[in-house]
Amino acid sequence: MHWTSWFDSTKALLLTAAICAVGVTGLWAQEPEVTDRAGAADENPYTTRFDVRMGERLFLRQCSRCHGQDAGGNDETGAPDLTTGRFANASSPAGVFDVIRDGVRGTAMLPITPSTPDENVWQLVSYVDSLSTNPADVSLPGSATTGRQVYAGKGDCASCHMINADGSRLGPDLSRVGERRRPAELMADLVSPEDEVEPRWWTVTVTQADGTVVEGLRMDEDTFTIRLMDQDERLWSFSKTDIRSYDRMENSTMPNYEETLTAGEIDDLVAYLFSLRKEISQ
Amino acid sequence: MKRFVLVVALFASVQLVLGQESNSNIATPSLTPVTWERLVNAADEPENWLMYSGTLDSQRFSGLDSIHNRNVGGLELKWAYQIPEIDRAETTPIVVDGVMFITEAPSNVVAVDAATGRPFWRYNHELPDDLRICCGRNNRGVAILGETLYMSTLDAHLVGIDARTGNLVWDSVVADYRAGYSKTAAPLIVKDQVVTGIAGGEFGIKGFIDSYNAEDGALLWRADTIPGPDHPDNRTWAGDSWRTGGSASWITGSYDPDLDLVYWGTGNPGPDWNGDVRMGDNLYSDSALALNGDSGDLEWYFQFTPHDVHDWDAIQVPILADLEFDGEMRKVMMWANRNAFYYTIDRETGEFLIGKPYANQTWAEGLDENGRPIRVPGTSPTEEGVVVAPSIGGATNWWSPAYSPRTELFYVNAYDGEQKYFKRDEDYVEGERFTGGGGENVLPQDAYQSAIRAIDPRTGDVRWEFLLQPRATAGVLATAGDLVFSGGVDGYFYALDAVSGQELWHIQLGERVHSAPMSYAVDGQQYVTVAAGNVVYTFGLDE
Repeated sequence: MHWTSWFDSTKALLLTAAICAVGVTGLWAQEPEVTDRAGAADENPYTTRFDVRMGERLFLRQCSRCHGQDAGGNDETGAPDLTTGRFANASSPAGVFDVIRDGVRGTAMLPITPSTPDENVWQLVSYVDSLSTNPADVSLPGSATTGRQVYAGKGDCASCHMINADGSRLGPDLSRVGERRRPAELMADLVSPEDEVEPRWWTVTVTQADGTVVEGLRMDEDTFTIRLMDQDERLWSFSKTDIRSYDRMENSTMPNYEETLTAGEIDDLVAYLFSLRKEISQ
Repeated sequence: MKRFVLVVALFASVQLVLGQESNSNIATPSLTPVTWERLVNAADEPENWLMYSGTLDSQRFSGLDSIHNRNVGGLELKWAYQIPEIDRAETTPIVVDGVMFITEAPSNVVAVDAATGRPFWRYNHELPDDLRICCGRNNRGVAILGETLYMSTLDAHLVGIDARTGNLVWDSVVADYRAGYSKTAAPLIVKDQVVTGIAGGEFGIKGFIDSYNAEDGALLWRADTIPGPDHPDNRTWAGDSWRTGGSASWITGSYDPDLDLVYWGTGNPGPDWNGDVRMGDNLYSDSALALNGDSGDLEWYFQFTPHDVHDWDAIQVPILADLEFDGEMRKVMMWANRNAFYYTIDRETGEFLIGKPYANQTWAEGLDENGRPIRVPGTSPTEEGVVVAPSIGGATNWWSPAYSPRTELFYVNAYDGEQKYFKRDEDYVEGERFTGGGGENVLPQDAYQSAIRAIDPRTGDVRWEFLLQPRATAGVLATAGDLVFSGGVDGYFYALDAVSGQELWHIQLGERVHSAPMSYAVDGQQYVTVAAGNVVYTFGLDE
């Protein structure tokens, strides 16, 4: 046993001083963080087109490293997509201001440099706000009402997709697709679905040890396991060490609607899908 | 009166905190001072892990073999230490005579009992609230000499800390954090010096590698990673671009005592993605530097990516080994670069020996006879964006590779991703980001392959690979038990057979492994330690 006491008088004195300093620092760190957000009404005073442009410049310089040049997020850094108009830690422009000003504790989202003036922070808020599309500002050639009929009828979309818990799980849930996809992107999804299929929707075949094959959508994969959902919506979970092989099928399960719908019907479908947003009961 | 009440309240609060602190801070058991001789011969005492990469040659190889490729399946959790600050731990602890020193976010260090995980003391480094840091509040580890620990801090200080008590011994300002300088990497002890790098390559800093007197923290020498205007290599920077050219040095280097050379990697030239404002090769960015161990004088350099426009830092830990090469023993350096090429270099002279891609890349047709890349036209960032592999994060990054002298294989965590690269005009403003562009993802990261790859350093050929999903960002440990340990973003920590790459054991830790494992022993029992999320986990066999 070689425990050495540090309670000789000099060291104890120094340590006490050091702990005092640390204690005081810790104390301040626990104080609620104060923001100097301008305006009692929590309104963004900087919303002109000039402000949006200034915000974009600031964003590219200060934020794009993690959130991406297109603000589309980065799953490596954990930075979320900022183009949807919905945020995990803010429900208003003032909330976005607070996140930029204060950061989000316990995440890589650090506070902006404290010397940054409120004006610049609000300009960033305006730029982020400009990235999501307000449906009221968009004029589309199609009719959402007709598009709803195409969705349920000729398009047979509900055989794969779900809206507000009605439909199937074999494609992405579309209940709020209008918040995350712009009309041009929805159009591309309908007429060239084989482009850029996200890994979550890859079709994968797993050959089990006994030679039987399971085909399904790639729900989830990590280094040691893979999970699929087959055509009957049954979930399969495999340990990779227990299977013979697994392979990705390059095709998309989403049909190309250019072949089955008219241009007008596709316009209507886009208008309908774009109208799908979170509905809040009053 | 109000002021009096405030003072009383403050005093009472301080007492409370003081009481907590003094209860928890206790001295460690005695340590045998870690002399320079012990560090040179660290491989001879594998029960201790005396520096960031284990030994001065940075092989991240543990000589312990009681956990081996036939019994590793019995590995079980022995203890877990929760870092109180929630952040993504990047630390590799060191262990000296049964005491483990763990760095914590943002710039703290804690001493714990290496057999139980129980803390002895914690040093909290006070930080300003206006730090300029690019990529998180990280610290990767400490160095030790004698009974003093040395740690980098986010406000660009280097501190000496009493390893027994956690008391501050000295605190040296390395650079001005307000100008974008910061420090995250473990220092390297070289004789009686603390050699250390600097971060800030995204803020238009001007990089260097420093040496400080271990005794008192006085600066001994500074090796500029961008030569000044009186040096001919300064002409590799157009105009005044060298003044803000980055070339940081934010990971730990290596040292060869026989050659008395310090080896260190340098980061990207700044601004990262707009090379138009810094035409030329931009020496010595993205390079391996060999510095004299007494003076810091540059003995040779090897630039992996001349005029880099993709942010492919040569911030990898240089691995040193002696290898038979074409019938002749060569002192070599092994390097899997962020630019997707693997290199073996003669570390006496800097001569390029071999180089080959070890991951997906679309930017170079290959390397010429001197190891210089032959670029594919049209792969530089544009205002509209251009897709190039590897991604900004690189084919690998700062996470440590490992080398086993038993298998003579080099193990690296590799990624086959790509990214769309943009450039833009940007003026330098002190203390602000200075990157001149950026990137965006083409597809989610899990659309690309990640793997542990075992490379033959004589040929550059990939001997085997173990596929990972999704992308992994952990370092690698090799052991004399013929095991390779690493972890994943998916939260797994695993052991592979070092010869075949076959998976032998894994455990789910519930959070991303973003650090490099290490191994040590207490009372004859071997342990393997890795940080995942903000927890440090230690594993061993059932006794």
